[in-house]
Amino acid sequence: MIKLTVLVKNKLGLHARAAAKLVRLASSFTSNIYLSRVGANQQIDSKSILGILMLAVAQGTPLIVSIDGRDEIEAGKALQKLFEQNFGEEN
Amino acid sequence: MSSAKVEMIFQGNGVSPGLVVGQALKLGSHNRAILKIQLAHENLVEEEVLRFEEAVRVSREQLLLLKAQLEEKVGREHAFILDVHLLMLEDRSLHAEIVENIRRYRANAEWAVCQATDRILRAYESLEDEYFRERRSDIESAVDRILINLSGGKGVGWKSVSGDLIIVSHRFDPSAFAAFDVEKVKGLALESGGRTSHTAIIARAMGLPAVMGIPDFLPHVSSGDTLLLNGDDGQLIVNPSPARIESLRARIDQFRAAAEPAAASTMASLATTDGTLICLQANTEFPHEVAAVKRSGAEGIGLFRSEFIFIGHPHGYPSMEEQAEIYRKLVEAMTPHSVAIRTLDTGADKSLPDDDAVISSNSNMGLRGIRASLLHQADFCTQIEAILRASSSGKVEIVLPMVTTIQEIREAKTLIERVLIDTGMGQTSYALGAMIEIPAAVLSLETLAREVDFLCVGTNDLVQYLLAVDRGNPQVAHLFQPLHPAVLRCLAYITDVCKRAQKRVRVCGEISANPFYAVLLLGMGFTNLSMNPLAVPVIRKVISDMALADARAIAEKALTLITAQEIADYLVESVTPRISLDLTPFVKEIRDPNGHGFPQRSS
Repeated sequence: MIKLTVLVKNKLGLHARAAAKLVRLASSFTSNIYLSRVGANQQIDSKSILGILMLAVAQGTPLIVSIDGRDEIEAGKALQKLFEQNFGEEN
Repeated sequence: MSSAKVEMIFQGNGVSPGLVVGQALKLGSHNRAILKIQLAHENLVEEEVLRFEEAVRVSREQLLLLKAQLEEKVGREHAFILDVHLLMLEDRSLHAEIVENIRRYRANAEWAVCQATDRILRAYESLEDEYFRERRSDIESAVDRILINLSGGKGVGWKSVSGDLIIVSHRFDPSAFAAFDVEKVKGLALESGGRTSHTAIIARAMGLPAVMGIPDFLPHVSSGDTLLLNGDDGQLIVNPSPARIESLRARIDQFRAAAEPAAASTMASLATTDGTLICLQANTEFPHEVAAVKRSGAEGIGLFRSEFIFIGHPHGYPSMEEQAEIYRKLVEAMTPHSVAIRTLDTGADKSLPDDDAVISSNSNMGLRGIRASLLHQADFCTQIEAILRASSSGKVEIVLPMVTTIQEIREAKTLIERVLIDTGMGQTSYALGAMIEIPAAVLSLETLAREVDFLCVGTNDLVQYLLAVDRGNPQVAHLFQPLHPAVLRCLAYITDVCKRAQKRVRVCGEISANPFYAVLLLGMGFTNLSMNPLAVPVIRKVISDMALADARAIAEKALTLITAQEIADYLVESVTPRISLDLTPFVKEIRDPNGHGFPQRSS
C-alpha cells in the first residue's frame, strides 16, 4: 500500500476529459486505487468516472492517492506523471 | 383495503377536453416509464442481469461506432465526450449497484437502472460547482442508451402494464406518441407545454384528455396513484376520494361513451342547407387512426403526416417496402376516398435522431420539408416510390411540405418522374399538391398553382410565419391569433386565386375544427376542410345547419373588422343562433386561442 499527494493544476480542475484519462490509466492496473481530498474520509474509486466527477475537484486542490496491489509501484509512478503533466493538456 | 391517501388538487391548462379516471404512469426524463415489475420466478433474476449486461455491451458498440464517425467529422478533440459516456455506461460502481438492485428487489433491469441513476443524479444535483453539476446531462445521455437498448428502442414496455393509464411527466415529446399504446393511455398530465404545442395538437387529434402547464406537481405523484383528470377546466386531482369520483361518474361515463364508435348516420354526402357540397376529411399521423377516421364520417384523409412513421421507427428510416405496406393499408382502408400523403416534414419539435447533427436556434425556418428532401434525394425518392406503389390500391395524393419557390416543385417533379421511369411504373397516375404555409408561397400562388394539381393550406404554420410568432414561446404565444385580420385576408386571397386558376384547395389545419372558424372558411369559399377526425361529426352538423349564403355574408363582414377580438365576438354572435348545437365549448378557443387572453392595453 502506498500513498501519494498530487496537485490538480488544470484550469478546469479534474473535469470530464481529465477524469476520463485518469480512469483509463487507473483501470490499466490491477491494484485498487482510491482518491480522497486532504482531511476527508470519503474515498473515491479512481476507476469510476461517476465517482471522480462527483468529487468536483477544482484547480489547485491537493488529492491523496492510495494504491494497494501487486502493481502499486508502477501505478503510483504513472499516476504521478499524469497529474504532473496536467493530463496532457496545455493548462 | 389500502389506507386512504390524501386528495391533492392541481391546476393547469386544459388543452384537450374530456374527463377521465386512471392510474398514473410516471415517465422519466426521456419519456421512459420507471415501472417496477416483479420478476415472476427467482430463476429469471440471472437472466435479467444478463439482459442488462447485453444492453451495456450493445450500447458500448454503438458508442464506439458513433465515436469513430464523430472523430472523422469534427476531430478527436470534440469526440472525447463520447469517451466520457463510454466510461459512464461501463462505470463499475454504477454497474454493481444496478445488478444489486435486480437481485435484491427481483426487479426488471429498466427499473434497476433508473433507480441507481436517480440516486446518482440526485447526488450530482447537490454539487455547488455548475460544471460538475451539469454532468448530469452526460449521465442521462449514457444511461438513456442502455434503456433504449434494454427495451428494444421502445419507450415503455406497454405489454407489462394494464388498465386505464394517465401519463404523468415533465414533458412529452410528440415523437413519443409513436410508441404509444392508444388502448391503454387515457390521458396526459404534464408540467410543461401549452395549447398550441404539437403534443397538445396530437392529444386533441387522438381524443386524449390533456392538462399541461401544471406547476411542480410531479413530486406528489407516483406511478400507480389514482388520478382524476379534467381536460376541460385543467384540473388534476391526485388520489381523488371515492365520493368525488362517484359524483362525477355520469360525466366520466358520458365522455367514455363519446369516445366509442359513433353511430354511422354519417355516410351521406354533406351539403349546406342551400345545397353546396362540402367535403370534410381527416388529418392523421398514425396508420392505426384509420378506424377513427372511418367512424368519423370523414371522406378520406386530407393530410397524412408521414413523419410519424419515421420517428417511431426503431432503425430511423423504414425501408421502401415497409413504407409501401403502410401506405397501401391506409389507401385500401379509405377506398373509395383518397389519401393525401405529405412527404417527410421534420422540423420544429418533431426532429428525427439524425437531425441532432445540426442544431438550429429556429428549426421552423431551417432545413425542413421539401428543403430537406431535395438535399437528401435518395430518401425522398424512396418515399415517393413507396407512395406510388401504394397508388395501385386506391386514390393517392402526394403533398410537398414547406414549399417556398416554384423551383422546388419543379425539382421534386423531376425526381418523381425519374422514380416512375426507374421503377417501370411510368403509367402510374398521381395527383401532386403543395402545402401553402409560407407567406411567400401565398403571394406567388398564381404561378405556383400552375405547377400542381391542388393546394393544401397549412394554417398552423401559415399563422405562425405570417405573424412571426413561435407558438411554443410563452412570451409571445398570445400573439398567435388565427383570427388576425391579416390571416383572414391571406385565406380570402388563396380561395380567390384558386378559383381563378381552377385548382382544388383544401384547408388542413387545427382551425377548421372550430365551428366558428369552419363557417368563416366556408363563407370565404373553401369547400374542402381537413381536420382531426374527432372534430368531423361536430363540423358536419354545423355545416348541415348552415346556408352558404349566410356563411358568405358572415365572412364578408368579418373581413371588414380590424382586430382579432372583434372578429371573434362577431363570429360568436352571428354563428351561434344559426346552429342547433351548443357551441359554448368552442367559444374559448377562438376568443382565447392560447389560454392567455388577448393582450389588453393599459391605457
